[in-house]
Amino acid sequence: MTSVAEHNPLLDGLEIRRRPAPCVLVIFGASGDLTRRKLMPALYALAYRGLLPEHFAVVGAARSEETDDEFRERMKEGVQKYARDEFRQDIWDELAAGMRYFTLDFSDAQAEDELAALLAEVDAERGTQGNRLYYFAVPPSAIGPLVNEIAARRSGDGWVRLIIEKPFGHDLESARELNTQIQERFGESEVFRIDHYLGKETVQNMLALRFANGIFEPIWNRQFIDHVQITVAESVGIEGRAAFYEEAGAIRDIFQNHLLQLVAITAMEPPIDFTADSVRNEKVKVLKSLHTPGPKSVVRGQYGRGFIEGVEVPGYREEEGVDPHSMTETYVAAKLYVDNWRWADTPFYVRMGKRLPRRETTIAIQFKRAPHPPFEETAAEGLRPNVLLIHVQPNEGMSLAIGAKVPGQGMRIRTVHMDFLYGSAFREGLPEAYERLILDAMLGDATLFTRADEIEEQWALVDAIVAPWQRDRPSFPNYPAGSWGPPSADELLHRDGRSWRRN
Amino acid sequence: MTVSTTLTQDWHGEDVSIAEIEAELARLRAESTGVGGGPQQRTSVMTHVAWVPPEWLDAAERTLAGLAERHPSRTVLLIPRPDDELDRVDADLTMRCYPVAGQPVCGEVIELHLLGDRSLAPASLVLPLAISDLPVFVRWRGEPDFRGTQWRQLVDVADRVIVDSSEWGDLAYAELAQSFGDSAISDIAWARTEPWRRELARYWPGIREQEIRIRGPRAEAALLHGWLNARLERAIRPVEPAGELGVRLGSDDLRPPRATALTPSDLLSAELDSFASDPIYEQAVLAAAGLVA
Repeated sequence: MTSVAEHNPLLDGLEIRRRPAPCVLVIFGASGDLTRRKLMPALYALAYRGLLPEHFAVVGAARSEETDDEFRERMKEGVQKYARDEFRQDIWDELAAGMRYFTLDFSDAQAEDELAALLAEVDAERGTQGNRLYYFAVPPSAIGPLVNEIAARRSGDGWVRLIIEKPFGHDLESARELNTQIQERFGESEVFRIDHYLGKETVQNMLALRFANGIFEPIWNRQFIDHVQITVAESVGIEGRAAFYEEAGAIRDIFQNHLLQLVAITAMEPPIDFTADSVRNEKVKVLKSLHTPGPKSVVRGQYGRGFIEGVEVPGYREEEGVDPHSMTETYVAAKLYVDNWRWADTPFYVRMGKRLPRRETTIAIQFKRAPHPPFEETAAEGLRPNVLLIHVQPNEGMSLAIGAKVPGQGMRIRTVHMDFLYGSAFREGLPEAYERLILDAMLGDATLFTRADEIEEQWALVDAIVAPWQRDRPSFPNYPAGSWGPPSADELLHRDGRSWRRN
Repeated sequence: MTVSTTLTQDWHGEDVSIAEIEAELARLRAESTGVGGGPQQRTSVMTHVAWVPPEWLDAAERTLAGLAERHPSRTVLLIPRPDDELDRVDADLTMRCYPVAGQPVCGEVIELHLLGDRSLAPASLVLPLAISDLPVFVRWRGEPDFRGTQWRQLVDVADRVIVDSSEWGDLAYAELAQSFGDSAISDIAWARTEPWRRELARYWPGIREQEIRIRGPRAEAALLHGWLNARLERAIRPVEPAGELGVRLGSDDLRPPRATALTPSDLLSAELDSFASDPIYEQAVLAAAGLVA
């Protein structure tokens, strides 16, 4: 009804909703937990807000046998349990009506033909116009063959986009190989490597904080910042993912992706605009300039038996499916440098681990001390340097530690925190990261996805860190569950006259 | 999102000064410290002023109850009682706190009863109570006296004035239009027409030539009519009264668009998210007032 070529004056002033073109979302690995716990609740949230395409369908594909109805039922349970909105039958019915399941052996070409036929059928039924969004929630080894099969069956009708979950490879070589395989068949603008941290509101708010406020950027450099600490702490163990975790460890599970993205966003230069390439160009410059001064600047750890919230939990080597002599690290701490004009000689201390006392992701910007506080030494003994603390999760927000006079006679200075809870000013429910990212992929906006060169730079740093690990066998376990990591992580900072923030 | 209030503290004073109000607010803030296990946190994104003649007070309070959590602010309710024989300001102060991540986040509600001549200069009460550096939104309940000093004053101090022309006896759009340019003006009746505007936009370009008949409640129908007049640059048939908005295009009655039912709090909340004036709305008002073709 609407003419595309001619300006429609009735649309002037109406907020243009970001509503994507019709499409089918095909989820490979749909029997996994990710689909039930994250993807389907995210789709429901988008449907709840009227943000899904008018013509839309979901096809789940996995090895396990399941009927359409069983798949719908399992997804419904996931939505009821994990969605952030109330369950509304009418919204669910509309979403479920376009939901199909396909049993697929990823290496079976005939099954791929059958899947293609099913998608053509869905196009005819649902009006999805041949547009395909493929979500790869599968191990890296399955991605290449699937990409080949999709490319071989690609028709001229509609667009094709690929969302690829982490891990993207297991080292630089495998990541390059995977990138090459994909790029032989698809353009970079069709590939969306997902790192769900980038979909988090607070991570995006970091860009707003830095680049929408004139007061921070002038002091966001080596002259005013003493160092940066980034913590990605989890209190959970490996939650039954022994096979994956034994291969990956903390360095591939968290450091290679989430943590390095947080470093990049903290350290990047202002992009000229907020387009995908401008933002990613700046991030990749940071990743290229990252280095760690040597093996002594990296600490790895593995948790032993301990207590979390008063409950005794097993050590990593006692977890089901884990080698009792495993040398897989569940904790990494490192000192990194960003070799550029802004950050030269300013350490970025990062740490991440499992079975730490609590779940917390924070970025702490610690400023240099005031050069000459004109107070008696005892007056300022409780005074600590200013810290700008960005809470990524949970309780998104930020706080600034400042020195203030204690009321009363004389001059005594104490550190106080000014807290800004994101939710206290904006009471809209925060969207889940996957909602934002799936919608962006449907719209073809890759700003919050990782580009091929970013992935490769991340792996190059990881390879450099893990190379010496082949020769060296630390005494594991070296920290009890429920502690903040091994003592050597504390020594890493003590050597520089600093200490980890008291969380 | 519904969040229960964990703490409400009140104070009432008669014949009060701004200094007393400020002192009592500070005391209420201090008393709320520590409740809920953490330091009290006051968060504001605006100063929200509401001009509420007594007959509108219940409706205004119901709307506010659903609003405070979404727009933490200092709220100043101005309740004019010009016919009162006393000339004074009475105040009711309330500190309303909501739990956010285990910590109470508090906002202040200042209810000022403007008795006698003290109702003539509301801006002089709003200015000292407005939070520095944050926008001032004024919600005018009922039909404004556009020539009255109160309207002029509040338009001058506000960044945005929100009316609901469905609350008016006369659709005095020509008078309202005289305030365009002095402040951003918006109308909740206009917001209610949005689903229909979105729906009608789908019929472009055919709608350009088709006969259009609009029916509905006075204000909404008049604004939708004005909007179509202005956007299509042609005269649309006069509106017909009806309980619900409806549109007939040619010989077809259009199905009402699917839209979420919005509460008065939702509608006001959406208006409080906007800052700039809306030229499309202003054109619709001018057309509805017959000031443009």
